[in-house]
Amino acid sequence: MAYSDKVIDHYNNPRNVGSFPKEAPGVGTGLVGAPECGDVMKLQIKVNVDTGVIEDARFKTFGCGSAIASSSLATEWLKGKSVDEAAKIKNTDIVNELKLPPVKIHCSVLAEDAIKAALADYRGKWGKKEAAAGAAAS
Amino acid sequence: MTEAKRGEGVTRSARDLCWNCQSEVGGEYFCPQCVKVQPASVWSDYFDVFGLPRKLGLDLEELQRRFYDWSRKFHPDLFQRATPEEQAISLENSALVNTAYRTLRDPIARVEYLIGLEEGAVKGIPPKAPLDLLEEMLLVQEALEGAKASALDAQTQKRLTDERARLAERRRAEEERLLDVSREWDALVEGSSAASRDRDDLRRKLLDRMKGILAVRAYLTTVINDLSDALGEDSQTHVSHRRH
Ligand code: FES
Repeated sequence: MAYSDKVIDHYNNPRNVGSFPKEAPGVGTGLVGAPECGDVMKLQIKVNVDTGVIEDARFKTFGCGSAIASSSLATEWLKGKSVDEAAKIKNTDIVNELKLPPVKIHCSVLAEDAIKAALADYRGKWGKKEAAAGAAAS
Repeated sequence: MTEAKRGEGVTRSARDLCWNCQSEVGGEYFCPQCVKVQPASVWSDYFDVFGLPRKLGLDLEELQRRFYDWSRKFHPDLFQRATPEEQAISLENSALVNTAYRTLRDPIARVEYLIGLEEGAVKGIPPKAPLDLLEEMLLVQEALEGAKASALDAQTQKRLTDERARLAERRRAEEERLLDVSREWDALVEGSSAASRDRDDLRRKLLDRMKGILAVRAYLTTVINDLSDALGEDSQTHVSHRRH
Protein backbone atom coordinates (compact mmCIF):
# COMPACT_ATOMS: atom_id res chain seq x y z
CA MET A 1 0.00 0.00 0.00
CA ALA A 2 1.51 3.28 -1.09
CA TYR A 3 0.69 5.97 1.43
CA SER A 4 0.58 9.65 0.59
CA ASP A 5 3.24 11.94 2.10
CA LYS A 6 0.71 13.39 4.49
CA VAL A 7 -0.28 9.98 5.79
CA ILE A 8 3.36 9.08 6.29
CA ASP A 9 4.00 12.35 8.09
CA HIS A 10 1.11 11.81 10.51
CA TYR A 11 2.06 8.19 10.92
CA ASN A 12 5.66 8.99 11.79
CA ASN A 13 4.84 12.05 13.88
CA PRO A 14 1.35 11.53 15.17
CA ARG A 15 0.00 14.69 16.79
CA ASN A 16 -1.84 14.68 20.08
CA VAL A 17 -1.41 11.05 21.05
CA GLY A 18 -2.62 10.30 24.53
CA SER A 19 -5.59 10.43 26.85
CA PHE A 20 -7.50 12.74 29.15
CA PRO A 21 -9.13 11.41 32.30
CA LYS A 22 -12.62 10.49 31.16
CA GLU A 23 -14.42 12.30 33.92
CA ALA A 24 -12.38 15.53 33.80
CA PRO A 25 -14.46 18.69 33.26
CA GLY A 26 -15.36 19.33 29.62
CA VAL A 27 -13.92 16.05 28.37
CA GLY A 28 -15.86 14.01 25.82
CA THR A 29 -14.68 10.54 24.82
CA GLY A 30 -15.46 8.61 21.67
CA LEU A 31 -14.48 4.98 21.34
CA VAL A 32 -15.24 3.30 18.03
CA GLY A 33 -14.18 0.33 15.98
CA ALA A 34 -14.13 -0.72 12.35
CA PRO A 35 -15.85 -4.07 11.92
CA GLU A 36 -14.13 -4.57 8.55
CA CYS A 37 -10.68 -4.87 10.07
CA GLY A 38 -11.12 -4.93 13.82
CA ASP A 39 -9.20 -1.73 14.41
CA VAL A 40 -10.03 0.45 17.39
CA MET A 41 -9.86 4.23 17.84
CA LYS A 42 -10.30 6.42 20.88
CA LEU A 43 -10.66 10.16 20.42
CA GLN A 44 -11.17 12.72 23.15
CA ILE A 45 -11.95 16.40 23.19
CA LYS A 46 -11.50 18.86 26.02
CA VAL A 47 -14.01 21.67 25.75
CA ASN A 48 -14.04 24.95 27.56
CA VAL A 49 -17.44 24.59 29.17
CA ASP A 50 -17.97 28.34 29.29
CA THR A 51 -17.28 29.06 25.64
CA GLY A 52 -18.07 25.74 23.98
CA VAL A 53 -14.71 25.82 22.21
CA ILE A 54 -12.58 22.72 21.92
CA GLU A 55 -9.29 23.59 23.57
CA ASP A 56 -7.49 20.31 23.23
CA ALA A 57 -7.86 16.87 21.69
CA ARG A 58 -6.17 13.51 22.07
CA PHE A 59 -6.33 10.19 20.32
CA LYS A 60 -5.20 6.64 20.61
CA THR A 61 -5.58 4.44 17.57
CA PHE A 62 -4.70 0.80 17.25
CA GLY A 63 -5.05 0.38 13.56
CA CYS A 64 -3.58 0.91 10.15
CA GLY A 65 -1.51 3.88 9.03
CA SER A 66 -4.49 5.59 7.45
CA ALA A 67 -6.52 5.30 10.63
CA ILE A 68 -3.67 6.73 12.68
CA ALA A 69 -3.22 9.59 10.20
CA SER A 70 -6.99 10.23 10.05
CA SER A 71 -7.31 10.51 13.80
CA SER A 72 -4.14 12.55 14.15
CA LEU A 73 -5.42 14.99 11.54
CA ALA A 74 -8.83 15.05 13.20
CA THR A 75 -7.37 16.13 16.53
CA GLU A 76 -5.52 18.96 14.77
CA TRP A 77 -8.67 20.11 13.07
CA LEU A 78 -10.74 19.88 16.24
CA LYS A 79 -8.63 22.25 18.27
CA GLY A 80 -10.03 25.76 18.26
CA LYS A 81 -13.35 24.72 16.76
CA SER A 82 -16.66 25.12 18.52
CA VAL A 83 -18.57 21.95 19.27
CA ASP A 84 -21.03 22.78 16.50
CA GLU A 85 -18.33 23.42 13.94
CA ALA A 86 -16.63 20.18 14.90
CA ALA A 87 -19.80 18.28 14.12
CA LYS A 88 -19.44 19.34 10.49
CA ILE A 89 -16.16 17.53 9.91
CA LYS A 90 -16.80 14.79 7.35
CA ASN A 91 -14.82 11.74 6.50
CA THR A 92 -14.60 13.00 2.91
CA ASP A 93 -12.66 16.04 4.17
CA ILE A 94 -10.14 13.64 5.66
CA VAL A 95 -10.04 11.52 2.51
CA ASN A 96 -9.27 14.61 0.42
CA GLU A 97 -6.67 15.99 2.75
CA LEU A 98 -4.81 12.70 3.12
CA LYS A 99 -5.51 11.47 -0.42
CA LEU A 100 -6.74 8.13 0.85
CA PRO A 101 -7.42 5.46 -1.77
CA PRO A 102 -10.88 3.82 -1.93
CA VAL A 103 -9.85 0.79 0.12
CA LYS A 104 -8.90 3.11 2.98
CA ILE A 105 -12.09 5.09 3.14
CA HIS A 106 -13.42 3.07 6.03
CA CYS A 107 -10.40 4.27 8.06
CA SER A 108 -11.53 7.87 7.63
CA VAL A 109 -15.09 6.88 8.46
CA LEU A 110 -13.73 5.54 11.71
CA ALA A 111 -12.31 9.00 12.49
CA GLU A 112 -15.61 10.71 11.70
CA ASP A 113 -17.44 8.23 13.89
CA ALA A 114 -14.96 8.88 16.69
CA ILE A 115 -15.50 12.65 16.46
CA LYS A 116 -19.27 12.19 16.55
CA ALA A 117 -19.05 9.83 19.50
CA ALA A 118 -16.78 12.23 21.42
CA LEU A 119 -19.12 15.15 20.75
CA ALA A 120 -22.15 13.13 21.81
CA ASP A 121 -20.40 12.06 24.98
CA TYR A 122 -19.40 15.63 25.72
CA ARG A 123 -22.93 16.91 25.13
CA GLY A 124 -24.39 14.23 27.35
CA LYS A 125 -22.01 14.97 30.18
CA TRP A 126 -21.42 18.70 29.95
CA GLY A 127 -23.90 20.14 27.48
CA LYS A 128 -26.28 21.30 30.23
CA LYS A 129 -23.58 23.20 32.01
CA GLU A 130 -22.59 24.80 28.75
CA ALA A 131 -26.15 25.95 28.17
CA ALA A 132 -26.39 27.24 31.71
CA ALA A 133 -23.10 29.11 31.34
CA GLY A 134 -24.27 30.59 28.05
CA ALA A 135 -27.54 31.74 29.61
CA ALA A 136 -25.70 33.29 32.54
CA ALA A 137 -23.31 35.14 30.22
CA SER A 138 -26.02 36.71 28.08
CA MET B 1 -32.52 -33.74 -5.61
CA THR B 2 -32.50 -31.05 -8.21
CA GLU B 3 -29.29 -29.87 -6.63
CA ALA B 4 -27.63 -33.19 -7.10
CA LYS B 5 -28.66 -33.17 -10.71
CA ARG B 6 -27.33 -29.71 -11.24
CA GLY B 7 -24.04 -30.88 -9.89
CA GLU B 8 -23.87 -33.95 -12.07
CA GLY B 9 -24.66 -32.17 -15.23
CA VAL B 10 -22.89 -29.05 -16.20
CA THR B 11 -25.53 -26.42 -15.99
CA ARG B 12 -25.40 -22.79 -15.13
CA SER B 13 -28.38 -20.64 -14.42
CA ALA B 14 -27.56 -18.05 -17.04
CA ARG B 15 -28.74 -18.48 -20.61
CA ASP B 16 -26.40 -17.08 -23.18
CA LEU B 17 -25.15 -17.34 -26.67
CA CYS B 18 -21.84 -18.94 -27.37
CA TRP B 19 -19.27 -16.24 -28.11
CA ASN B 20 -17.94 -18.32 -30.96
CA CYS B 21 -20.80 -19.94 -32.85
CA GLN B 22 -23.74 -17.95 -31.43
CA SER B 23 -25.70 -21.05 -30.58
CA GLU B 24 -27.51 -21.09 -27.30
CA VAL B 25 -25.64 -22.27 -24.25
CA GLY B 26 -27.98 -23.16 -21.44
CA GLY B 27 -25.39 -23.05 -18.73
CA GLU B 28 -22.80 -25.45 -20.07
CA TYR B 29 -19.14 -24.74 -19.53
CA PHE B 30 -18.35 -25.77 -23.06
CA CYS B 31 -20.58 -24.92 -25.98
CA PRO B 32 -22.57 -28.02 -27.02
CA GLN B 33 -22.22 -27.05 -30.67
CA CYS B 34 -18.65 -25.96 -31.19
CA VAL B 35 -17.18 -27.25 -27.92
CA LYS B 36 -15.46 -23.94 -27.17
CA VAL B 37 -14.90 -23.00 -23.55
CA GLN B 38 -17.39 -20.44 -22.21
CA PRO B 39 -16.46 -17.54 -19.95
CA ALA B 40 -17.12 -18.22 -16.30
CA SER B 41 -17.90 -14.61 -15.57
CA VAL B 42 -21.50 -15.20 -16.61
CA TRP B 43 -22.03 -17.53 -13.67
CA SER B 44 -24.08 -15.65 -11.23
CA ASP B 45 -22.12 -16.45 -8.08
CA TYR B 46 -19.49 -18.69 -6.49
CA PHE B 47 -22.04 -21.27 -5.42
CA ASP B 48 -23.19 -21.42 -9.00
CA VAL B 49 -19.65 -21.98 -10.21
CA PHE B 50 -19.72 -25.37 -8.54
CA GLY B 51 -23.39 -26.03 -9.10
CA LEU B 52 -23.96 -25.98 -5.36
CA PRO B 53 -27.03 -24.61 -3.61
CA ARG B 54 -26.59 -21.23 -1.98
CA LYS B 55 -26.36 -22.53 1.56
CA LEU B 56 -23.91 -22.15 4.39
CA GLY B 57 -23.65 -25.81 5.23
CA LEU B 58 -21.58 -27.16 2.36
CA ASP B 59 -20.38 -30.62 1.61
CA LEU B 60 -16.68 -29.82 1.59
CA GLU B 61 -15.65 -33.05 -0.08
CA GLU B 62 -18.09 -32.45 -2.86
CA LEU B 63 -16.84 -28.89 -3.20
CA GLN B 64 -13.28 -30.08 -3.48
CA ARG B 65 -14.16 -32.74 -5.99
CA ARG B 66 -15.87 -30.24 -8.22
CA PHE B 67 -13.06 -27.76 -7.80
CA TYR B 68 -10.49 -30.31 -8.97
CA ASP B 69 -12.75 -31.20 -11.81
CA TRP B 70 -13.04 -27.63 -13.07
CA SER B 71 -9.42 -26.84 -12.47
CA ARG B 72 -8.52 -29.73 -14.69
CA LYS B 73 -10.97 -28.78 -17.42
CA PHE B 74 -9.88 -25.16 -17.50
CA HIS B 75 -6.22 -25.79 -17.01
CA PRO B 76 -4.29 -23.40 -19.25
CA ASP B 77 -2.03 -26.25 -20.36
CA LEU B 78 -4.96 -27.77 -22.18
CA PHE B 79 -5.41 -24.62 -24.17
CA GLN B 80 -1.89 -24.17 -25.40
CA ARG B 81 -2.89 -24.78 -28.95
CA ALA B 82 -6.22 -23.01 -28.72
CA THR B 83 -7.02 -19.57 -30.05
CA PRO B 84 -6.01 -16.55 -27.99
CA GLU B 85 -9.68 -16.02 -27.04
CA GLU B 86 -9.97 -19.49 -25.66
CA GLN B 87 -6.69 -19.15 -23.83
CA ALA B 88 -7.83 -15.93 -22.23
CA ILE B 89 -11.16 -17.44 -21.23
CA SER B 90 -9.60 -20.54 -19.75
CA LEU B 91 -7.18 -18.41 -17.76
CA GLU B 92 -9.93 -16.24 -16.41
CA ASN B 93 -12.02 -19.27 -15.60
CA SER B 94 -9.17 -20.87 -13.70
CA ALA B 95 -8.68 -17.73 -11.66
CA LEU B 96 -12.37 -17.43 -10.90
CA VAL B 97 -12.71 -21.07 -9.94
CA ASN B 98 -9.75 -20.67 -7.61
CA THR B 99 -11.15 -17.63 -5.87
CA ALA B 100 -14.56 -19.22 -5.63
CA TYR B 101 -13.06 -22.33 -4.09
CA ARG B 102 -10.92 -20.46 -1.59
CA THR B 103 -13.89 -18.38 -0.51
CA LEU B 104 -16.37 -21.21 -0.12
CA ARG B 105 -13.92 -23.59 1.52
CA ASP B 106 -13.43 -21.22 4.41
CA PRO B 107 -16.49 -21.13 6.67
CA ILE B 108 -15.92 -17.51 7.71
CA ALA B 109 -15.19 -16.20 4.22
CA ARG B 110 -18.22 -18.16 3.03
CA VAL B 111 -20.50 -16.34 5.45
CA GLU B 112 -19.00 -12.97 4.49
CA TYR B 113 -19.51 -13.77 0.85
CA LEU B 114 -23.08 -14.87 1.36
CA ILE B 115 -23.90 -11.70 3.28
CA GLY B 116 -22.52 -9.66 0.38
CA LEU B 117 -24.64 -11.64 -2.08
CA GLU B 118 -27.78 -11.39 -0.03
CA GLU B 119 -27.47 -7.72 0.71
CA GLY B 120 -26.38 -6.69 -2.75
CA ALA B 121 -26.58 -2.95 -3.03
CA VAL B 122 -28.95 -2.68 -0.08
CA LYS B 123 -26.58 -2.73 2.85
CA GLY B 124 -28.15 -3.15 6.22
CA ILE B 125 -27.00 -1.14 9.19
CA PRO B 126 -23.33 -1.72 9.91
CA PRO B 127 -22.88 -3.77 13.03
CA LYS B 128 -22.20 -1.71 16.09
CA ALA B 129 -19.68 -3.26 18.38
CA PRO B 130 -20.60 -3.58 22.00
CA LEU B 131 -18.81 -0.77 23.78
CA ASP B 132 -17.46 -3.00 26.52
CA LEU B 133 -15.76 -5.15 23.91
CA LEU B 134 -14.07 -2.09 22.39
CA GLU B 135 -13.05 -0.94 25.83
CA GLU B 136 -11.58 -4.31 26.60
CA MET B 137 -9.69 -4.40 23.29
CA LEU B 138 -8.32 -0.95 24.02
CA LEU B 139 -7.13 -2.06 27.46
CA VAL B 140 -5.39 -5.10 26.05
CA GLN B 141 -3.74 -2.96 23.38
CA GLU B 142 -2.57 -0.42 25.92
CA ALA B 143 -1.16 -3.11 28.15
CA LEU B 144 0.55 -4.61 25.14
CA GLU B 145 1.99 -1.25 24.23
CA GLY B 146 3.39 -0.93 27.73
CA ALA B 147 4.84 -4.43 27.59
CA LYS B 148 6.49 -3.77 24.25
CA ALA B 149 8.16 -0.62 25.57
CA SER B 150 10.30 -2.71 27.86
CA ALA B 151 12.02 -6.00 27.10
CA LEU B 152 9.73 -8.99 27.26
CA ASP B 153 10.71 -10.86 30.38
CA ALA B 154 9.47 -14.35 31.02
CA GLN B 155 6.70 -13.12 33.24
CA THR B 156 5.30 -10.66 30.73
CA GLN B 157 5.60 -13.24 28.02
CA LYS B 158 3.52 -15.62 30.05
CA ARG B 159 0.95 -12.96 30.73
CA LEU B 160 0.61 -12.12 27.05
CA THR B 161 0.43 -15.77 26.09
CA ASP B 162 -2.34 -16.39 28.61
CA GLU B 163 -4.18 -13.34 27.40
CA ARG B 164 -3.97 -14.54 23.86
CA ALA B 165 -5.23 -18.00 24.80
CA ARG B 166 -8.18 -16.43 26.59
CA LEU B 167 -9.08 -14.31 23.57
CA ALA B 168 -8.62 -17.20 21.17
CA GLU B 169 -11.05 -19.19 23.29
CA ARG B 170 -13.59 -16.42 22.97
CA ARG B 171 -13.11 -16.28 19.27
CA ARG B 172 -13.79 -19.98 19.07
CA ALA B 173 -17.01 -19.42 20.98
CA GLU B 174 -18.02 -16.71 18.51
CA GLU B 175 -17.30 -19.06 15.62
CA GLU B 176 -19.51 -21.66 17.25
CA ARG B 177 -22.28 -19.09 17.45
CA LEU B 178 -21.77 -18.27 13.81
CA LEU B 179 -22.24 -21.93 12.95
CA ASP B 180 -25.49 -21.99 14.90
CA VAL B 181 -26.79 -18.97 13.05
CA SER B 182 -25.62 -20.50 9.78
CA ARG B 183 -27.76 -23.54 10.47
CA GLU B 184 -30.72 -21.33 11.23
CA TRP B 185 -30.13 -19.55 7.96
CA ASP B 186 -30.09 -22.76 5.97
CA ALA B 187 -33.25 -23.93 7.68
CA LEU B 188 -34.92 -20.67 6.69
CA VAL B 189 -33.76 -20.96 3.10
CA GLU B 190 -34.93 -24.55 2.84
CA GLY B 191 -38.21 -24.12 4.62
CA SER B 192 -41.24 -22.61 2.99
CA SER B 193 -43.72 -22.74 5.81
CA ALA B 194 -43.46 -19.27 7.31
CA ALA B 195 -45.37 -16.39 5.77
CA SER B 196 -43.21 -14.37 3.46
CA ARG B 197 -43.22 -11.27 5.59
CA ASP B 198 -42.04 -13.18 8.61
CA ARG B 199 -39.42 -14.77 6.44
CA ASP B 200 -38.09 -11.40 5.30
CA ASP B 201 -37.99 -10.30 8.88
CA LEU B 202 -36.15 -13.35 10.04
CA ARG B 203 -33.83 -13.18 7.06
CA ARG B 204 -32.83 -9.62 7.95
CA LYS B 205 -32.38 -10.56 11.59
CA LEU B 206 -30.16 -13.51 10.80
CA LEU B 207 -28.01 -11.44 8.45
CA ASP B 208 -27.57 -8.80 11.12
CA ARG B 209 -26.67 -11.40 13.68
CA MET B 210 -24.06 -12.89 11.37
CA LYS B 211 -22.61 -9.46 10.73
CA GLY B 212 -22.49 -8.75 14.43
CA ILE B 213 -20.62 -11.95 15.16
CA LEU B 214 -18.20 -11.35 12.30
CA ALA B 215 -17.45 -7.90 13.68
CA VAL B 216 -16.74 -9.19 17.17
CA ARG B 217 -14.58 -11.85 15.64
CA ALA B 218 -12.65 -9.21 13.68
CA TYR B 219 -11.87 -7.23 16.84
CA LEU B 220 -10.71 -10.34 18.63
CA THR B 221 -8.60 -11.42 15.66
CA THR B 222 -6.85 -8.07 15.44
CA VAL B 223 -5.84 -8.17 19.08
CA ILE B 224 -4.86 -11.82 18.90
CA ASN B 225 -2.64 -11.07 15.90
CA ASP B 226 -1.09 -8.09 17.63
CA LEU B 227 -0.33 -10.24 20.65
CA SER B 228 1.25 -12.85 18.42
CA ASP B 229 3.36 -10.22 16.72
CA ALA B 230 4.56 -8.93 20.06
CA LEU B 231 5.43 -12.46 21.11
CA GLY B 232 7.44 -12.76 17.95
CA GLU B 233 5.23 -15.38 16.41
CA ASP B 234 3.61 -15.32 13.05
CA SER B 235 0.05 -14.26 13.37
CA GLN B 236 -2.35 -16.57 11.70
CA THR B 237 -3.99 -14.21 9.34
CA HIS B 238 -7.32 -15.15 8.03
CA VAL B 239 -7.86 -14.69 4.30
CA SER B 240 -10.59 -12.24 4.82
CA HIS B 241 -8.89 -10.36 7.60
CA ARG B 242 -7.31 -7.36 6.00
CA ARG B 243 -5.44 -4.55 7.53
CA HIS B 244 -2.62 -2.21 6.52
S1 FES C 1 -7.53 -0.88 7.96
FE1 FES C 1 -8.57 -0.76 9.80
S2 FES C 1 -8.87 1.30 10.12
FE2 FES C 1 -7.68 1.21 8.37
